[in-house]
Amino acid sequence: MKKSKIFTALMAAVMCAAAVFPLAACYYKDEDEGHEFTVLTVKEETVKDYNTMPVFRSLAKETGRDVYWIYNTSMQYQNNSDPVGIKGIDAIYHAGFSNLQLYNYGRRGKIAALDSYITEKTMPNFKRILDARPDIREALKSPDGHIYSLPRVEEMGLKAYPNLLFINKVWIEELIDANDPAASGIEKEDLQDGLRLTRSQYKGILQGFKANHGSCVPLAFVHGNWQGNESDFISSFGVPENAEHKTILNGQITFTVESEAWFNAVKEMHEWYGAELITSSAFTQTQDEFLARGQDGRYGSFYWWEKDTVVSKDLRDDYIVMQPLVDDATGKQYVGLSNELEVEKSECVILGSCKDKAGLLKYFDKFFEPDYSAQLNYGSIESGAFLRQKVDGKLIPNDDHGRQSADDFRMKNAPYGVVYLTQEVWENSVEMESRAKLRLERLESYVKPYNEFKDSVRSIPNLNYTKEELDILSRYETMLGKNINSWMVNKIIASSAPSLSDWQNNLLKSNKTAMDEVKRVNQAAYERYLAATASA
Amino acid sequence: MQNHSNTAVLTAELPADAAENEKLIEQAYEALDGTEENKPENRNKPSKWDRWKANFKRRGWILLFILPALIYVIIFCYAPMYGILIAFQDYGQGDPIIGADTVWVGFDNFSIFFSDPNFWSYFTNTFLLCFFGFVVGFPLPIIVALLLNSLRAKKVKKGLQILYYAPHFISLVVMVGMLKMIFGSDGLLDKWAGGNGLELFLKPEAFRPLFIFSGNWQDFGWSAIIYLAALSGVDPALHEAAKVDGASRFRRIFSVDLPAIAPTIVMLMILSIGNLMSCGYEKVILMQTDGNRVTSEIISTFVYNFGLGADGKPGLGTAAGLFNSVINVALLIIANFTSKKLANQSMW
Repeated sequence: MKKSKIFTALMAAVMCAAAVFPLAACYYKDEDEGHEFTVLTVKEETVKDYNTMPVFRSLAKETGRDVYWIYNTSMQYQNNSDPVGIKGIDAIYHAGFSNLQLYNYGRRGKIAALDSYITEKTMPNFKRILDARPDIREALKSPDGHIYSLPRVEEMGLKAYPNLLFINKVWIEELIDANDPAASGIEKEDLQDGLRLTRSQYKGILQGFKANHGSCVPLAFVHGNWQGNESDFISSFGVPENAEHKTILNGQITFTVESEAWFNAVKEMHEWYGAELITSSAFTQTQDEFLARGQDGRYGSFYWWEKDTVVSKDLRDDYIVMQPLVDDATGKQYVGLSNELEVEKSECVILGSCKDKAGLLKYFDKFFEPDYSAQLNYGSIESGAFLRQKVDGKLIPNDDHGRQSADDFRMKNAPYGVVYLTQEVWENSVEMESRAKLRLERLESYVKPYNEFKDSVRSIPNLNYTKEELDILSRYETMLGKNINSWMVNKIIASSAPSLSDWQNNLLKSNKTAMDEVKRVNQAAYERYLAATASA
Repeated sequence: MQNHSNTAVLTAELPADAAENEKLIEQAYEALDGTEENKPENRNKPSKWDRWKANFKRRGWILLFILPALIYVIIFCYAPMYGILIAFQDYGQGDPIIGADTVWVGFDNFSIFFSDPNFWSYFTNTFLLCFFGFVVGFPLPIIVALLLNSLRAKKVKKGLQILYYAPHFISLVVMVGMLKMIFGSDGLLDKWAGGNGLELFLKPEAFRPLFIFSGNWQDFGWSAIIYLAALSGVDPALHEAAKVDGASRFRRIFSVDLPAIAPTIVMLMILSIGNLMSCGYEKVILMQTDGNRVTSEIISTFVYNFGLGADGKPGLGTAAGLFNSVINVALLIIANFTSKKLANQSMW
């Protein structure tokens, strides 16, 4: 009897669920109706609802366009093999399409070509930007010559250098006090921002850290991550390394792994790993795990964008920023440049099925205005991201968010996406965040002037590829980066040191075709880019 | 009942002469039943089709029971199969599978896949991962089921059974998270060993054991259920008889239980051999690091990278997946054929 009751209850529950399911779907749809446009955006749960964000409300008010936002988390979005096939949406914000996707969707008319709308009437701001910046226009072009996406432009001169090296000065002081030979030649007065050490000095100090603080992580970073990776360490051997192992050196697209300096760096890292100066977590952790682990001051030294998020407030002053490590053999300092670009190509796309493309584009064109760009990038004035009063006509960021950290505040309140923030905007309309200014200062005073590569190396810009070139890249590049990283990590953690022949045979030879093809295609595209931007 | 025994008697007394035979049968049927369809002239040429029709009329409604399964298989297994056409195309995201401007490239995608310098590494990695998984994972639930079944205390048996199959319900992501906490950086083992001691997620040689043993730990209890079900069908009288003959408990497992579930074992074995080259990509990708990629890059992760990646080539991914499936079908047929020859058991 009891059993049958339970069964009945269960069945009832299931039936109710089944009945509510279609209702829920209806409800969702109802809410959707009556809006002029529906835009899909990629957003994590922690970010506030765009529909209630003041910046979007004022945008809607000013343009007279009513936009309803629906969401995908980045995980959902990545696993959707055909995002433009989603029914009932007019545009995708944070689309993040690859060149190949843009081309494919554009060719099929699934996303709209924007060329005919880039006029004084529909998109005055965007038109002005493209006229003033031929490099951006060039970057946005698809192989068929059309523009299919709205870009994100945030030029601060920070992204090419995604790493800074920090070190715990209190621990060095301990070494000096104990007359440890590792700290010989270093005075306490030297222990301030801009500390300059050779790689062997630095190694000695890390060994000292390890001896004094058994459970510490002498050198921490996140392997393969876009920021805070090991690239600068490898660069110090005289090769312009970055997370993609691919750069432009003296006008030539180059794979850093082909340089013997790169091999030597891996060999050295193997040794450091054996001495426990680098720990295994460097190769397995995510950004968040790295940040969580560093809070209690366990890192002797680390590579990261800045130090504020890595260590907790009361320990921040213990860490100082260093100059790039000095190569013992040459006495020079080298830093590679990342390929993280300040112009992101496909931040927003309009679907071909959108009924009033001009209307929606008029709305998005407003995003390029400095005041809106700033609010999209940092949070709205109403939410407290900026002071309410402009100073000299400039929006001034508000640094005080109470108990919230600046990062947390921004994560919750800023939608990011389509913005246009350039040198001109920083000078006239928006004051740079103090954190960004500080970082820029550090780069200008401690990194850029010492970088021997500053004239010979540049980041790979947004290049335009033909369909054939895109095919070649997708065939080879998908696995190439993985193969390189895999070889590298395996050698670092192996019990025996890597040999030259292993490097030549198992890395260079077996990936030769892939590297040659990727280099060839990129070189051709780069030369076209140079020609196009020079003539314009 | 009466009629039936009459027939039996009649047939038993049939004379050798064939003509006589016919006559007698005719008489016998007339005696049995005078209806039209049972008359000898009709009965003599009942085509297969007629019999099928008659059968269908009487019992056809039973077929309705397989209808849901059939619809399921058609919608979810057969209908999507047209997607394999992508393997022969230069397909881009958003393309229709067959359209006016579809670019057919023949076997190009396959030759790209086979000429990949790492092709053999993907192939052997897939095979070894699945093969060892099979070697460990196939007998384990059988042994567990046999042992559970011979437990005398029913409550203990039930308790253990629940204990064994509960891990099955842990989601993969949580499962891999647990593994990382135990075997990963700063995990239990790593901390215990000190320094860069036992970070198993970076070690290529540790990937397969980790993958296989965690998988089996999670699923052996669950897989044992089907054998337990088969064991519950064993006639207790057989056990009684064996006991009377003085068979020990161990002996009874081998002589009563095991033969009883042998058909189930064979059937499941054929099915698992058919899956010998397919281990899903989800767990592998969750467990993959740059350190263990040497052993953890398998065909299905290749399919994932090319099929779903933004810069990928869906055609190439599909071709690799199709190649994998073809091998699986071949293995299935071979396994089935072998079992038919050796054990006289097969799926078809």
